[in-house]
Amino acid sequence: MSLTRPTLKPERAGGTSRRVTLRTSLSAYAFLLPFVVLLVLYHAWPVFFGTYLGFTKYNIISPPQFVGLDNFRELLRDEQFWSGVKSSLKYILVVPVIQLLSIAVAMLVNRPLRGIGFFRTAYYVPVVTSFAVVGLMWNWMYQQEGPVNFVLMRLGLMKGDHSLLNNPATALYAVMFVTLWKGIGYYMVLYLAGLQSIGRELEEAATIDGATRWQVFTNITLPGLRPTILVCSLLSTISAIKVFEEIYVMTQGGPVGSTYTALFFTYSKAFVDFRYGYAAAAGIVIAVISLMFGLINFRITRGGRVDA
Amino acid sequence: MTSLNISDTAQVAARLRVSRRRRQRLHNTAAYVVLGLIALIMLYPFYWTFITSLEPTGDIYKPKIAPSGISLKNYAAVLTGTTVPMWRMLINSLVICTVGVVGCVTLAALAAYPLAKMRFPGRDLIFYAILALMVLPNEAGLIVNYITTIKLGLLEQRGPVLDTITQYAAIVLPSLASIIGLFLIRQAYLGVPVELIEAARIDGAKELTIWRKIMLPLSMPTIAAFAILEFVALWNSFLWARILPLDPQMLPLSAGLLELSGTFSTNSRATMAGAVLVVLPILAVFASLQRYFMKGIEGAVKG
Repeated sequence: MSLTRPTLKPERAGGTSRRVTLRTSLSAYAFLLPFVVLLVLYHAWPVFFGTYLGFTKYNIISPPQFVGLDNFRELLRDEQFWSGVKSSLKYILVVPVIQLLSIAVAMLVNRPLRGIGFFRTAYYVPVVTSFAVVGLMWNWMYQQEGPVNFVLMRLGLMKGDHSLLNNPATALYAVMFVTLWKGIGYYMVLYLAGLQSIGRELEEAATIDGATRWQVFTNITLPGLRPTILVCSLLSTISAIKVFEEIYVMTQGGPVGSTYTALFFTYSKAFVDFRYGYAAAAGIVIAVISLMFGLINFRITRGGRVDA
Repeated sequence: MTSLNISDTAQVAARLRVSRRRRQRLHNTAAYVVLGLIALIMLYPFYWTFITSLEPTGDIYKPKIAPSGISLKNYAAVLTGTTVPMWRMLINSLVICTVGVVGCVTLAALAAYPLAKMRFPGRDLIFYAILALMVLPNEAGLIVNYITTIKLGLLEQRGPVLDTITQYAAIVLPSLASIIGLFLIRQAYLGVPVELIEAARIDGAKELTIWRKIMLPLSMPTIAAFAILEFVALWNSFLWARILPLDPQMLPLSAGLLELSGTFSTNSRATMAGAVLVVLPILAVFASLQRYFMKGIEGAVKG
């Protein structure tokens, strides 16, 4: 930034300079104003007011009534909430799977093959599709007589007497698969960028020195991808804990609460039961939990790093 | 003697080359098989939904590779035959996306200019405050924005024309200030040579003129990429519009589709037709502008 300091400034007379600075400041704030107003209203205000709401009883009609830690005490005993948290934590299972698959797919589409552009594009199509469409589409695919059961039956993996989404034992995993299916293309692009920044020379040199493919992968490719892995697994851990849209479209928390996640709890407390204060308190607890798991994730992905 | 040796070496080399090429070809074939299998998993649901939406009758959820018959009656049904016809939702989506993209890009492009190229007190403070907002927990965001929208009176009844405007505003306002957009565009602005701006300032150009005549044109690739990302995000978002107690006539496509799946619960084919109509424009945009997408998300994560 210091390089961009205007060189002409010192030559000007003090008075003019100050006036120019004032005018510059005014126009700078004018440029910022519309953005900042909306940012404060819809981004900053929710952070503060949302936190405050967590300590109140509020139904929109009468003003918020401060209740101290009551909401949190109630949350501690609320089995529905903790079963939601449990489902959300179970959802973290998606993270290692999606990261490993994305790395594999990125390596696959990083090959200089003919028509590879088509495959990259194809894998990215689910990413640009709305969850409204994706959720409905997979709901249809998961129907008892639908394609998913057909394939699983052919592979001998299930008897096909029910839909995976209607069975409390499998519903959450069925939804996870959709998250996986929609997310792979996104992480693939990020890993592809990571792979391309590693550079071929190192891998080629190792191959010439007689390293096996696996050795090249574990000693060169994987360490080179570490910064990308760190960012991607952090992103996907946090979005796994906060999983919501899939659930909202596909199962609404059912069957028998088997896909009822933490953020779905917040949603239904606010927009079904109209307990905004209680819902906000749940939001705070979820924030703390996802922060904790973000840190754990950071530790794991940094662990084993040579220069850490 | 020597000639024999050379031909020997050449033979060995040739044999090695052949076997390597064969191995290479084997590897490539294996790669294509895997690539094709993944592509099938990624694309089949779209294809299946599309061909099923064309069928007039039959086993709806059956796995298939071709439609059992072709008719457009499901499309006719969703476009006209409901309480809220799809063409109306299409208009809503177009309005929301246009206003949203133009607003988003304008606000971010304006705000990024002083943050990148002007010196004024409080600049760093503002910059870091915005940065902090990105990481601060906002789980209650939906709830508080809902309360804010109600309290602003955006959903009160005032008269048909005014209601339409305020309801559009209620849908679009929360997404107008995009922090990612601000950072992307600021990054592009940083690359604009400062001499150009200084020269214009000495010539007495107003800041707004500099912004319009220098900053915007020179940052067009980034701005275009961001505009496309924002368009897709707005087109695809449904949650906010579903949560707001809107007039059903005001729903955008993605949100309206879920409404349709309720009303057409006995005829999923019509909903499938609706889903195709929601996806089609995005696929068209994506297919023609895909390099912007990849650049855009890389930039958004790095930014």
